[in-house]
Amino acid sequence: MIANPLYWLAPTAAFVALAFALHFFRQMKREDEGTDTMKRIALHVRRGAMAYLTQQYKVVVIFFAVIAVVLAFLAFVLQIQNQWVPFAFLTAGFFSGLAGFFGMKTATYAAARTANAASRSLNDGLRVAFRSGAVMGLVVVGLALFDISAWFLILNIFIKDADPIHRILIITTTMLTFGMGASLQALFARVGGGIYTKAADVGADLVGKVEAGIPEDDPRNPATIADNVGDNVGDVAGMGADLYESYCGSILATAALGAAAYGLTGDAAMQFNAVLAPLLVAATGTLLSIVGIFFVRAKPGSSQGQLMGALHRGVNVSSVLIIIASFFLLRYLAIDNYIGIWGAIVTGLVTGIVIGKSTEYYTSQQYSPTKGISQQAETGPATVIIAGMGVGFLSTAIPVLAVALGTILAYTFAAGGLGLENILYGLYGIGIAAVGMLSTLGLTLATDAYGPIADNAGGNAEMSGLGPEVRNRTDALDSLGNTTAATGKGFAIGSAALTGLALLASYIQEIKMSIGRVIERAAGFTFPDGTRFTERADIQSITLVDFMAYFQIHLINPRVLVGIFIGAMMAFVFCGLTMNAVGRAAGRMVEEVRRQFREIDGILEGKNEPDYARCVEISTKGAQREMILPSVAAVLVPVVTGILLGVAGVFGLLAGTLSTGFILAIFMANSGGAWDNAKKYIEEGHFGGKGSAAHKAAIIGDTVGDPFKDTSGPSLNILIKLMSMVSIVMAGVTAAYSLF
Amino acid sequence: MKTYLYLSLIPESLIASMLPPDQFGNYYAVGTEKRSRGQAIFFDVDPCFQSDYLPMQDIAKRCVPHSDGSPRRSTYLSIYRVLEHIPLSALGNLHLATTDGRVLSLEQKPYEADKADRLHLYQEFCPVNPRVASTLDPAQFLPHMTDTTQPISVEKIAFCEMRLEALATDPEGGSVENLPYHNIHHLRDCLLGLKYDPNKKTKVVMRHLQQDVLFRTVRNGFFVGDKERLLYYPMPSLEDLELKYHPWWRSALTTFTS
Repeated sequence: MIANPLYWLAPTAAFVALAFALHFFRQMKREDEGTDTMKRIALHVRRGAMAYLTQQYKVVVIFFAVIAVVLAFLAFVLQIQNQWVPFAFLTAGFFSGLAGFFGMKTATYAAARTANAASRSLNDGLRVAFRSGAVMGLVVVGLALFDISAWFLILNIFIKDADPIHRILIITTTMLTFGMGASLQALFARVGGGIYTKAADVGADLVGKVEAGIPEDDPRNPATIADNVGDNVGDVAGMGADLYESYCGSILATAALGAAAYGLTGDAAMQFNAVLAPLLVAATGTLLSIVGIFFVRAKPGSSQGQLMGALHRGVNVSSVLIIIASFFLLRYLAIDNYIGIWGAIVTGLVTGIVIGKSTEYYTSQQYSPTKGISQQAETGPATVIIAGMGVGFLSTAIPVLAVALGTILAYTFAAGGLGLENILYGLYGIGIAAVGMLSTLGLTLATDAYGPIADNAGGNAEMSGLGPEVRNRTDALDSLGNTTAATGKGFAIGSAALTGLALLASYIQEIKMSIGRVIERAAGFTFPDGTRFTERADIQSITLVDFMAYFQIHLINPRVLVGIFIGAMMAFVFCGLTMNAVGRAAGRMVEEVRRQFREIDGILEGKNEPDYARCVEISTKGAQREMILPSVAAVLVPVVTGILLGVAGVFGLLAGTLSTGFILAIFMANSGGAWDNAKKYIEEGHFGGKGSAAHKAAIIGDTVGDPFKDTSGPSLNILIKLMSMVSIVMAGVTAAYSLF
Repeated sequence: MKTYLYLSLIPESLIASMLPPDQFGNYYAVGTEKRSRGQAIFFDVDPCFQSDYLPMQDIAKRCVPHSDGSPRRSTYLSIYRVLEHIPLSALGNLHLATTDGRVLSLEQKPYEADKADRLHLYQEFCPVNPRVASTLDPAQFLPHMTDTTQPISVEKIAFCEMRLEALATDPEGGSVENLPYHNIHHLRDCLLGLKYDPNKKTKVVMRHLQQDVLFRTVRNGFFVGDKERLLYYPMPSLEDLELKYHPWWRSALTTFTS
């Protein structure tokens, strides 16, 4: 059934991760939630978050039902799709949604408890917030590993083939298509969550801070609860779904590439081990991430640097342990060139760290780029915008070069050189580099999810009127969360790029399998260059380089060029749609807040509570309404391109979206982060400090940057992966019905 | 319903109201429809003082409840030369309302002059409202401005001292990092002019108040007086602002004007 008992490490790691998540959740629930006011505010946020998720899941269920029917039609009626796909699509979506649900629930329970724990000590506050964030991290990796390992087991039982090598190829390419469920769920979580959070944030800021002069997190601002809900919606559920998708996508794509590459050796056991390797590296990383979580501790009275050091210690310990453990793991699996594969894993981990450091350099007020934007604020908002965009553009260089170098190194390590003779091994190396980068996800996602928990804890402390000592501690935790959120975004983008590369390579594998099904159905398949195959077995023996030649995938093919242009355009159109969506939704929020000030007596006097629920509802409905068009576009464009321009066009499309989307995402995330911290730098007492003309200019920059860094930028990660996933799942349609 | 009397400094006016100071400050800052935004600085005034100049008799006549029984929020009794005609003994607490209507009330305290050799910056509120740099401390600045023997003087004056931080002792090289003033180079020039010309006591930095005063820039507190008497309304310490008056302080820090 399962050739290597080490497989069981994956489900074991999944259960251990989920058990620790449950343990941390219960530990957090045992904490006191504080005063009645703290409980009341936490309840408002919790209700708002659940109202949002309920509404989102209603829309998601409809989308999933429609797409599952389409996939079932393709699989059972037209028979151009693997018959497992509709079911696997649903489970991946379900588990991704479940991870978001648990993460949000934990985060919304944790905020008040973190604020209350911070009243005892900084370390207590950090512990509650971080371990609550770890619930999200561990639930994501636990459910992803469980889903993948469960389907791997099921398909191993049910898929029969006389040739064991071909059987593994079928299993891995079938599993690859599962990712679409996770991708689609991530799209809704990221795009919907991104629109929600910024509609609430920008709306709350425009009317609150700018128009009414009301401070942030002031209970008199009707949008303040929606703003707090938005932090959870965007940075907990959205980020979690994004990385769940990258995590699944990288493991599945690498497994498919491993099956294809090591299938060529004719050694079924080695092929099986190559398929297991990404799953086992991820499982080992999960277990070692749990070890790392216990290394995150702060001493009483810790400085900002010491708090950051505490978080870094956890990640560093896990990373070093993973590097050591993966070496022995690969040696035990005895895959050919295991040292090279291990080198690729190390390359992925280092690439992730370089991208994180680069993000920190370009977005932290400790460094010159952000300080430079603050200085430009002295001459007004126009120069702030110009400087922020300049920093954002420049900030693309290091991550892109890191991914480029990482790709070359991972390919070289795995293929033994840059030549194309071992291309599949090289691509497997790139895939496993992405797995290496994501191997610490349980921990890195914990640091990401910690951010909004600390942010909400600060909001709760402020609204509940806790003492200055507690507020100072929650401010310190919040400030740390801002930095981890920025580096987390860089990490998410970098992993999306490497995963996108792996998926791009896997697309050809999927096309191969689809052509096999077309040959069975139509007794033959003719490639665009005129080459015709009539036997399914012959297709499997074609090399990747030959395949590219048969499909005429080269840069002078106009279909590839047009595909690249459309792909690049999609990144910009997608950003335009999401940016405008935020503008419209924020506008509705502004109107509502103004109305409440006008019509509800005593809000500004603090005598009456605003109608928080109405603002939550406006953001929720706005987000659901606005996310439909970008979502439909992201799903339909690869399908239509496949039909009109064929495999070559889709390849160009994916290359265009990947390259443009990756760079645009870095630009937007870093510009937004830099604008945000440039404002904070001024608020710390530079260039005139709070209330100065420079401060006003920086606030405008920060407001412009909000949808950059929290809506459009992160959504591009999903676009990159979703378009690849849709192309992979719809490979059968492209192969069977392409006009070219 | 009780009737209160207020002396607003921005703009200078005498207002009768049926709202107590915190409610009046909120109303004055944000308006009835909550569409208006603007800080307010006002004294509460004992309505029993006698004046031939101000229409005190109108208080009872005009400041009456609305037909629906709701309290009258404001009745303007006089503008222009109001401070001049109110005896200092009638002035009660000073109230500072932020743009979103949070009110901080300051009580009178004895003033102890700061003997350090430093430059000062004052924001005058009424009867005129220039921003003035000076070598004089508040206790010297007040008699200097109200000395009627001088060609330029006023009967009474209300003003606050503003923070100069390092510029107070080193106008040439002092850091201006956390000073939110417009045209900081001009301010440096004015301070340098005072430093190097011993005969010059004051120098106008800004001819009139162009925007709201950012309360975080107020040093020591507010002053009002004439040539004989100085009333001092100290700002709470930063620690007290954080601890006791946190909602007002946060709101004051969010005000975007300087």
